[in-house]
Amino acid sequence: MLELYTSEPNTFFLKPLIALNEKQVDFEIRWFDAENFEQFALTELEGLENEVEARLHLEREGPLLRHDRTLIANSGFMLEYIAEALPGAALLPESPYDLYRAHASAQFLGAQLGSLVPVLGCMKYLAPKLMARAGVADVISRIEPEERRQGWMALLDGTYTPEILVSARERLEVPVQRIEKQLAEGPWLAGADYSIADIDAFALLRPVPDLAPEVANEKRTPRVLEYLARIGQRPAVKASLAISRSGNPGQHFVPGVEPSRWG
Amino acid sequence: MTVHLYHWEPNANSGKPMLTLAEKGVPFESHYTDLLKFDQHQPDYLAINPDGTIPTLVHGARVLTESTPMMEYIDDEFEGPPLKPRDPKERWRMRWWMRFLDAYYGPSLSMIGWSVFVGPAVRQRPKAELEAAIARIPLESRRIAWRKAMFNEFSAVELDESRRRVRFCTGVLEQHLTRHEWIAGKAFSLGDVNGFNLGYALPLSQPDHCNDQKTPHIMEWLRKIYERPATKEVWKLGRTTMAERVKFLERGRNA
Repeated sequence: MLELYTSEPNTFFLKPLIALNEKQVDFEIRWFDAENFEQFALTELEGLENEVEARLHLEREGPLLRHDRTLIANSGFMLEYIAEALPGAALLPESPYDLYRAHASAQFLGAQLGSLVPVLGCMKYLAPKLMARAGVADVISRIEPEERRQGWMALLDGTYTPEILVSARERLEVPVQRIEKQLAEGPWLAGADYSIADIDAFALLRPVPDLAPEVANEKRTPRVLEYLARIGQRPAVKASLAISRSGNPGQHFVPGVEPSRWG
Repeated sequence: MTVHLYHWEPNANSGKPMLTLAEKGVPFESHYTDLLKFDQHQPDYLAINPDGTIPTLVHGARVLTESTPMMEYIDDEFEGPPLKPRDPKERWRMRWWMRFLDAYYGPSLSMIGWSVFVGPAVRQRPKAELEAAIARIPLESRRIAWRKAMFNEFSAVELDESRRRVRFCTGVLEQHLTRHEWIAGKAFSLGDVNGFNLGYALPLSQPDHCNDQKTPHIMEWLRKIYERPATKEVWKLGRTTMAERVKFLERGRNA
């Protein structure tokens, strides 16, 4: 039994969907509305193996994969699990060094884009919706663990001032330019072929031209835009985006990875 | 093709590839890079790793700078006992825990460590020398970290939060090792290499929270790793009192 607990196919949620569709394996979608806190009410997952890790998962919000009695959390490591455990298309780079590049890329982008993109997306699309809903602060005040609660609270309590959002957009420059430079060396991020490194980068980069057009645009990052368009044409990617219930998955965000507290 | 490893003490990120190479039985040329003398921000080092972070592994034309992915590379590239489980579920658990250690537990322990060890070790030097050293650091996040350590600019709030997280994580780790003998499950893996480098001094730095009464599974796990020949070999490469702390794990010493 393979079930993917997911919300709108954007950022973290988009990654495992693409990988499962690339593999062409049978899986069921268990939908929850992350903007309405339904991820905190998935009681059917209690008692499964790795429940502790799934509860603590460090993206704070995100998809969960249930494979028989085992839960797999963290969208990046979920990609590796799907690549290693399921039949179908090879999605892992073959050489140890290309695999290193895939790991290092996912770690770097997860920390950089994974913390910045959700903040910018939430402030543009989610925060106005939350503010219009009654009783939201009460719901948020009951979220556990503390780090996840703070991620939600920050959307409402004035943490993200206009200055902080400007600086968040500026800080996208480093990871986006790093990818632009890598794409000058070859069409894919880790080795000669499309791999989990590209799925990971695509899912996090896809909203950037909308959220920070001054950072990602035809003039400054032509290769990144071409890369997004090229991956967007893949049937597995189209099928993944097509599960959206809103019709505009690129406008749905939840708080992401906590920014680094210490070097 | 010789493996060159640029590393500081067997501790935290430097210790991860050191212990992995030793466990695999891969000989390497050791380049001790003194963090406290800012060797990692000197031009000859930046020519190898422009980010100015330690460790760096150089294997032929390949330059690897991220310590956790570096461990997987060493395991994949070289002969020797496998350090990753075969079962994809256990592999996932190994990787999840390495990220938990690297991104959540580690930074909190490291902040405390820098406030009590690294900061005081460099602070007596002239301010102008320290400012010049900061100016040479390539990464903004590292400049911020060094400034805090050099001039003791840690706030009580952030140190308290780090202590809270260390206590919380120590509890989560103890529970985990109650369910599983090793980090990934049934066998020693890179997850344990990672965890030992981060946590070998926990019983000394957190005596009230990590000890034989409160966390017997963590204590037994640390002692078992300490007793491995590779660990003994690697910790001999330490040059400061920091590495000496590993001897606290000698059985019977604190009985």
